[in-house]
Amino acid sequence: MEQVNAADMCRFLVDYGANLMASGATCIRLDKNVRRIAAAFGMDVEMTVMPRHIHLTVIDKNTGEVITSISKVPDTGISFEQNTELSRLSWEIADRKMGYADAVRRYEGIKAGGGLSAWSLLLLVSLANASFCRLFGGDIAAMIVVGVATLAGYYMKMLLLSHKVDVRLVFMVCSFVSSVIGATDMLFSIGSTPDVALGTSVLYLVPGIPFLNSFSDMLYRHYLCAFARFADALILTCSLSVGLCAGMWLMKASIF
Amino acid sequence: MILQILQDALFSAIAAIGFAAISRPPRRAYAYCAIIAAIGHSLRYLLMSPGVAMHILPATLMASFAIGITAVLLSSLSKIPAETYLFPSLLPMIPGIYAYKTFAALAECVFSGGEEPFMRGMYLFCYNGMTCVSILLCMVIGAVTPIFMLKRISFQATR
Repeated sequence: MEQVNAADMCRFLVDYGANLMASGATCIRLDKNVRRIAAAFGMDVEMTVMPRHIHLTVIDKNTGEVITSISKVPDTGISFEQNTELSRLSWEIADRKMGYADAVRRYEGIKAGGGLSAWSLLLLVSLANASFCRLFGGDIAAMIVVGVATLAGYYMKMLLLSHKVDVRLVFMVCSFVSSVIGATDMLFSIGSTPDVALGTSVLYLVPGIPFLNSFSDMLYRHYLCAFARFADALILTCSLSVGLCAGMWLMKASIF
Repeated sequence: MILQILQDALFSAIAAIGFAAISRPPRRAYAYCAIIAAIGHSLRYLLMSPGVAMHILPATLMASFAIGITAVLLSSLSKIPAETYLFPSLLPMIPGIYAYKTFAALAECVFSGGEEPFMRGMYLFCYNGMTCVSILLCMVIGAVTPIFMLKRISFQATR
C-alpha cells in the first residue's frame, strides 16, 4: 500500500465529507464512507458532523501524526448520482483497487459530473405531478391544469435558483405561481375536480429528502443534524404554505 | 378492482420517476424507483380498499415498510443507495389534505369570536393535525427503519 501523509489525507477526507453531505447523504453513510477510506490508508479518523460544517481529525497510526480540518458544506443541491458515485469510490479505495492519486483524480471527476438536462427534468416533473393529480382522483382537465402549473412553477424555481435568489423566497414565489395557475380550473369551471387540481399543484415543492434524512439521523443519534435538517424542511414547508395561501386568497379559491 | 389497482400502479410509477428526477439520481435508478413506488402505492390502496378496510395509519406503516424493505433489497442489485428510492415512493402518501384542514381549522379558531365555533375549530385542528403528524411518522419510521435493520446490505450496496 502506498504511503500518504496525514495532512493530504485530512484535506481530501474533509472535502469528500462536505461534498457527500451536500449531495444529500445521511450521517450514518457519511460516517461509514469516511472511516472506510481512512482505514484503507492505515489511518484513524474522528469527526463531528455539524449541519453546515464537517470537522474532521485524521490520526496516522504509523507516525502518530494528528491533523484536524474543518470544511463548509457547499450549496450544491441534492444529487443522488454524486452520493452513489462517492459511496462507490469509498468501496473501490477500501477494496484496494485504487491508490491515493487515482482516488483524487476520480473524486474530482465525480464532483464535475453533470446530470439530466434542464428541459427533460422540467418535462418529467410536470408529467409526474399530473399523474399525481390522477392518483388523488383528479379528472383529465385537472391533470392538464396541474401539468401546466408545475411546468411554470418548476421553470420559475430553476430560473430563480440560478440567479441565486434566497431559497425560501423561491419556494414562496413558486408555490404562489403554481397555485394561481392551479386555481384556474376552479375559476373557469373546466373540470369536475378543481379542488384536487389546486391541492396537487404545489406538491413538487415538498422537501421530502430533508425530512427523511432528518429521521435517519435521529435513529443514528446525530440529534443536532437531525434537528437542523428538520428545521430546514419545516421552514421550506412554511414558505410553500405562505405562497399557496396567497395564491388561494388572490384567486378567492378554497379547497376546504 | 384489478384494473383500478393496475392503473394506480402505472400513475404512481410515472409520478415516482418524475419526482425522483428532482434529486438527480443515477440514470439506472429510474426503473427501480417506478417498481418500488408502484408496489408501495398499490399495497396501501389494497389495504384501505373496502375488502380489507384497514385504518389509514397501519396501512401507511405497512406500505412504507414494504417500500423500505424493497428499496434495501433492490439497492444491492442496482448498486445505488436505498435512500434514493424512498422519497419518490413515499410522496403519494403525504397527507396533504389533512395538513390543509389543520391550517384551515387554526384560522377558524383564531377568527371564531365565540366559544362554540372556537371549540369546533379546536377539535378539527387537533384531529386533523394529529392524524397528519401520525401518518408522517408512520411513513418515515416504516421507510427508514429497514435501512438500519439491514445495515450490512444497505451500506454495501455501492461496493
